[in-house]
Amino acid sequence: MENSIGRREFVKIAGGAGAALIFGGYEEALAWQARNAPGPDAAEKDLVLLALDAAKAAGANYADVRITRGQSESISTRERQITGVGKSETYGIGIRALVGGSWGFAATRDLRKDAVTKTAKEAVAIASGNNNINPVKTTLAPVKKVPDGRWITPHEIDPFTIPIEEKAALLFKTNEEALRVKGVRFVTSSINAIKESRLLGTTDGSMIQQTFMRLGPNVTVTAVPADNSDFQTRSATLAPMGKGWEYIVSLQLSENVLRWAEEAVMKLSAPPVEPGVWDLVLHPSHLWLTIHESLAHPTELDRAMNYEANYAGTTFLAPPEKVLKKFKVGPEFMTIMGSRSEPGGCATCGWDDEGVPAQSWPIIDKGIFVNYQSTREMVDWISSITKVRESQGCSYGQDWASIPFQRMPNVSLMPNSKDVSEDEVIAATKHGIYIEGDGSYSIDQQRYNFQFGGQVFYEIKDGKRVRMLRDVAYQARTPEFWNSLSMIGGKSTYKLGSSFSDAKGQPMQLNAVSHGCPVSLFRNVNVISTA
Amino acid sequence: MQVNPAARKGLSAEESRALTRKVLSFAKADNTRVNIDSGIRGFTRTAINRVTTAGVTEDVNIRITSVFGKRIASIDTNRLDDASLERAVRECEALAKISPENPEYMPELGEQKFGEVNGYYTSTGDVTTESRARAASFAVKAADAAKLVASGFIDVNAGSSAIATSKGLFGYAAGTGVSSTLTIRTPDGASSGWAGDEGADWTTIESERVAQDAVRKCQEWRGKTALEPGKYEAILEPTAVGMLMLRMMNVFDARQADEGRSFLSKRGGGTLLGEKLFDERVNIISDPVEKNAETAPFTGAGQPLSRDVWVEKGVLKTLSYSRFWADRKGVAPKPGGSNFVMSGGTATVDDMIKDTKRGVLITRFWYIRGLNPRIVSFTGLTRDGTFLIENGKITRPVTNFRFNQSLSEMLANIQMLGRPTRVCASENSSVGPPIVVPALKVKDFFLSSVSDAI
Repeated sequence: MENSIGRREFVKIAGGAGAALIFGGYEEALAWQARNAPGPDAAEKDLVLLALDAAKAAGANYADVRITRGQSESISTRERQITGVGKSETYGIGIRALVGGSWGFAATRDLRKDAVTKTAKEAVAIASGNNNINPVKTTLAPVKKVPDGRWITPHEIDPFTIPIEEKAALLFKTNEEALRVKGVRFVTSSINAIKESRLLGTTDGSMIQQTFMRLGPNVTVTAVPADNSDFQTRSATLAPMGKGWEYIVSLQLSENVLRWAEEAVMKLSAPPVEPGVWDLVLHPSHLWLTIHESLAHPTELDRAMNYEANYAGTTFLAPPEKVLKKFKVGPEFMTIMGSRSEPGGCATCGWDDEGVPAQSWPIIDKGIFVNYQSTREMVDWISSITKVRESQGCSYGQDWASIPFQRMPNVSLMPNSKDVSEDEVIAATKHGIYIEGDGSYSIDQQRYNFQFGGQVFYEIKDGKRVRMLRDVAYQARTPEFWNSLSMIGGKSTYKLGSSFSDAKGQPMQLNAVSHGCPVSLFRNVNVISTA
Repeated sequence: MQVNPAARKGLSAEESRALTRKVLSFAKADNTRVNIDSGIRGFTRTAINRVTTAGVTEDVNIRITSVFGKRIASIDTNRLDDASLERAVRECEALAKISPENPEYMPELGEQKFGEVNGYYTSTGDVTTESRARAASFAVKAADAAKLVASGFIDVNAGSSAIATSKGLFGYAAGTGVSSTLTIRTPDGASSGWAGDEGADWTTIESERVAQDAVRKCQEWRGKTALEPGKYEAILEPTAVGMLMLRMMNVFDARQADEGRSFLSKRGGGTLLGEKLFDERVNIISDPVEKNAETAPFTGAGQPLSRDVWVEKGVLKTLSYSRFWADRKGVAPKPGGSNFVMSGGTATVDDMIKDTKRGVLITRFWYIRGLNPRIVSFTGLTRDGTFLIENGKITRPVTNFRFNQSLSEMLANIQMLGRPTRVCASENSSVGPPIVVPALKVKDFFLSSVSDAI
């Protein structure tokens, strides 16, 4: 297997002590990959080479080809019954061609040789057509060729080897425990497992086989009073993870569901929040989504350049020349890293969809915005400011049928280098609300004004959690919010939160992504009631 | 409608029938269902006044559902060779056998009578990369001429869906859909305007009108100034209404209401069926044959879909019942609607403006998320054209707002209605479930805080 980059060295110089705490164990990971990552299927490799040759022969100055085979297995339950058991498989080839400076894309599920050749020609024809109408310049950043790249999601147990009965038994046991709590009327639970083989070939000479595994569990408990006058839900908001079945085991669902069930019932009688200005102590199961929406999306370079104006929007972090290395996003102790190599992260990989190796780099360093997320064609747009000449490896297409473009890596808030505990963060709060779990979330198209709810809310008074509240949401403006960050927990409070379904692009594509963060304290935030 | 079957995208009825027969011939389960979705998607995306990506994707997805007693499982695959199909059937049956029983499973349906729907428009099915590029060029030219920046998306779908069961049911429907949306911004990023269109028939898509409207919105929104948040009379253009009503598509569910988990639950038990909930001019139906908003006349489980009246003169007339819940409650099953058609009035947006003393005109919304299901409230933001109206005239462009609003309250607070039209209601501008709605003027729409976003 080819090496990816010297990540440890990179982190050492550019991420601070907090980053070093998170991205350790690099050599061990490489050795594990060498033992476990499978190589490409010979027939698929031939088809990729055929498509690359056909694209070149038809006039492409660059092309990349992906054969992906995506498999999923899902099981869902409510109370004492199954509501769905399903598997899916989608298999095909997608070809992206560059003619002049214009892209064309074509994809088909038909993997016969003549269909693959025809599809490659179609991609080139679309690119040529666009280039004739409106010729433009596109510069691809250099990338080292990887003739035999191999990577697989680090895991102990392949989730597809666990029988469906065992998965059902775990969910039923979890539901049963929840239903024992008085006031609980409904409970749903599910596990979604994904496995994807992705073979990438490029006209630069790379041939990279990767296998991805991801798991998404969910448990939601609903409590209803006897007279049907109300209902309250508590979702466990369990993070999807790029790991094996051992992750599900570690969640101890049937033990922990008791707390989620009790909290659902407590919400029925909890007082609504008094709207006003509160300090907020945000648990990672909540804060990950605030990071995702207010920091990770606005640091996508295509948004800054108007590419997403018709859908996902632009960003307050634009134009690049006015904000890079200048804009103060938060306090000096705030470091945000982009990473495609964070252990367990849903966006973690060996290489991106252009064959760029996984890496970690600072996006916000000492509170200052220093770099965007980029793909090969985007590097040239800002390299005079960043002095970075290579892609950060953020190209991704959802599957064979989707054109690759800039997608979010794992974007994480680094923990305090001192091991500050959650109790210490709460103790530093006089008049505050502790929020756990993500709830309703909404943010504008430039990522200024946001409103986030949660799952459970506790009032903090004079450094102690005193009682549950309900119907809490906070509204803030991104720069003011992050500059109100006043304390972060240490590594022991650092956790990942994730989504399987981050949407961007037209046609819309989904990306799986994670965000790590410690427990964090924000001062003087505007809280509203959703009652 | 005349169609040339040779030019159709997606599998034909005959091909679909043959494929479902083949899958069913492999089946050994007590019952088997096959769903097929096939077709093409062509797209052209523009940004900074040029085409940034364009492509075409062809796929056929087969869903196999195997049932033993009440044990049920399903498998999706797009591998159509005999060996792969047989393997998928075997795997699905193995999965079903080891799955715990689903006590709510209802037996597969036998032969059903489906209404005829002509939802496939060759005008859309025959759209080429070149014709999409030509349509996109209206926007680029309009933007160039006005020294503005265009970002747009044209999405074209053409294909078919089919269903068959081992009990003899077969259904087939072909359909098309197209959306065209455009955002125009000033080069300095200080203003943004949007316009869009959606339909089943390419010839109804007004690419030039979309270009002109988006340019006009962008020019008129220049120089926006602050306005205090609060409750305002609001004129919602049809797209804004459609984006909210998309959230109302699945709320008329009997089980949720019976179980106390819906705004249609009655305190103490029961539902609000038969009660007047909204303004008396609110009528909501679904109908697979609605012109230019057609859908297949069957559900994914093979239940026939026909015209249903959900709300009439503001009164909740119908709730949807799954087959299981209908059986439990002793009523006829009623699937939810596959499109959303709201009747309107005759007012134009200009009439609404003239009738407004002080209010806000809203072009569309963004990032709509549920807040409180007990009152069907949602939050979200205005986007790409928000204006203050005073004494019957637009007086100035204003900043965007976050709204926090109950939709049932909004439908009770209607003052004026426009003519219904199909809109592009999905935030990502892809072709969605057909939504046909009027512009609305409503009172007390809650704009809760200011957004600086442009």
